[in-house]
Amino acid sequence: MKYAFYPGCVSRGGCPELYPAAVKVSGALGIELEELKDAACTGAGVLPQNISDPINARTFAKAENLGLPIMTICSTCQGVMLQANHRLKSDPEYRAKINKEYLAEEGLEYKGTVEVKHLLWVLFEDYGVERLKSLIKRPLTGLRVSPFYGCFLRRPPEVVVPTKAEAGRKTYLNDLIRILGAECVDFSGMGKCCGFPIITANEQNSLAMVGKHTGEAKDKGADCMVTPCPLCHLNLDGNQSKAEAQEGRDIGLPIIHLPQFLGMALGFDTKDLDLKRHLVSADAVESKVNMLT
Amino acid sequence: MDVTFKVYRKDPEKDNKPGRSNYTVDVAEDSTIMDGLLKIRDEQDGTLAFRASCLRGYCGECTVKANGRSCFTCTAKVKAFTQKGPEIQLDPLRNMPIIKDLVYDWDAFLWNKIKAVQPWLEPGEPASNGGKPVTESEMQDLRKVMSCYYCGLCDEGCTVLPVDFDFLGPAALTKGYRFVFDPRDTAGKDRLKLLEQSKGIWDCVHCFEATEHCPRGIDPTKRIMDIRDKAFKVGISNERVARHHKSFAASVKESGWLDEGRLAVESEGLTNIKGLAALLPTAIKALIRGKAPIPYLHSKRPGADRIKRIFEKGEKDNK
Repeated sequence: MKYAFYPGCVSRGGCPELYPAAVKVSGALGIELEELKDAACTGAGVLPQNISDPINARTFAKAENLGLPIMTICSTCQGVMLQANHRLKSDPEYRAKINKEYLAEEGLEYKGTVEVKHLLWVLFEDYGVERLKSLIKRPLTGLRVSPFYGCFLRRPPEVVVPTKAEAGRKTYLNDLIRILGAECVDFSGMGKCCGFPIITANEQNSLAMVGKHTGEAKDKGADCMVTPCPLCHLNLDGNQSKAEAQEGRDIGLPIIHLPQFLGMALGFDTKDLDLKRHLVSADAVESKVNMLT
Repeated sequence: MDVTFKVYRKDPEKDNKPGRSNYTVDVAEDSTIMDGLLKIRDEQDGTLAFRASCLRGYCGECTVKANGRSCFTCTAKVKAFTQKGPEIQLDPLRNMPIIKDLVYDWDAFLWNKIKAVQPWLEPGEPASNGGKPVTESEMQDLRKVMSCYYCGLCDEGCTVLPVDFDFLGPAALTKGYRFVFDPRDTAGKDRLKLLEQSKGIWDCVHCFEATEHCPRGIDPTKRIMDIRDKAFKVGISNERVARHHKSFAASVKESGWLDEGRLAVESEGLTNIKGLAALLPTAIKALIRGKAPIPYLHSKRPGADRIKRIFEKGEKDNK
């Protein structure tokens, strides 16, 4: 089982604990990764489509040449690439134009055959739940975990859930939390936006969203929140103390990356998952998990 | 069959406190929720307030949440909501200011915001005098947007409105699209500037909730993103956002990937001492944990020169 690995900028920048955790966990699962080292940033919904689509087409062409599907570890990268891929696959004329005008001079051509999947989707759709269950060494019994998907793992509907076969994508994270033995603490904001996209344009609104989501999960008794999106992590973890100040309340909810969460259940020493790098202390989660071993 | 409607109530002429009234009515199996509401008002409680206009799913006036799902009461069948039991809870849309019971203040919620985007064409010369005609494909695109019937469901889904009611919201911004992309409109940069103001397009988190909620397939989130792309091409007038986008594009163009440290400081502005100082507490905490990317200490990705070529070509096409 092998993927062209697209780690994204933030997993090596603002959240450098994510990249090694994803690589380690993939290794433990037996998922082979060939990193797309010369692929560029997806544009993250900031760059206009007429620049980001050719950039992403180039990434798809490189994966296509390797004969591999792409695996991401970021909801935003996943969403931007999924939307670009949808346009390129469904409109052969558009794809031909981009091939001719942007990729040909590098000797590349995207034929429209690549699939792009987040690690979360890979687990359910390619890897298999039973196989995953057989590798759980430390069921996370008693850990109360709220899911936080990141918008682009749930929307837009026509690309995230193109057929009924993909309908499970709306609940994979809830399902995974239970599969790994933890208790899933649902809350109303789990599929909403974390606020990160407007942290520059309107910090007050962005922080209000952080306070709303983390506060609600905390009030419902969550020990931590798990997210497959490092951009959500940057806001929910990195700006949680600012949100506490703005909203006038204490929250202190640790935010855990999906691969770190998986790693805990697969029996990794929590120290190897770099939980200490988070701005909101995850010590309580670490001690609770370490009690399970 | 007997169905119990548990209806949200609020009456400003009494205590204005939210409450709930339960009514059990006998309705035919293929009834709509609206049939039930009309029967309640006729037979049990004339004080229950709700909107009823076209009664055929076209005007968008009667939107509510039935058992947590947003719907038009005039087309939503009772049987679709009673599979788990003969009870339907009716609540107002979550972002709506209430006048009474299920009657919303559409002025505050929608119309004032629609007016704020100046929803009228600023025409130039007629096509016969050399003005720009509209092509069939352009008109089809605009017609799709014009098929909006202002039901408010996109604003119901919006993630920003619950934290900031003054945000213009997807319905009004999509109305803006209708004029930005009309080739006959001559308002140009002024219109973009209007939509770029505080509470406008740059406050949208592009979460695609609006798209998921729109019953007409208008795709409001994409419309907002298209306006943003256009602003990017002609020059963003919101200074803070312009700095952010310029820095983002520059680091990807020069190195192939994002220099997050550089983005943080350049978004604030290199001479904005107060803004830069405000970054420090979080930056210091992150540095202690070995995770704050140092601005400008940023290596090029292999193949960065190819990315630069794509940028140069895209930028040339924008001009």
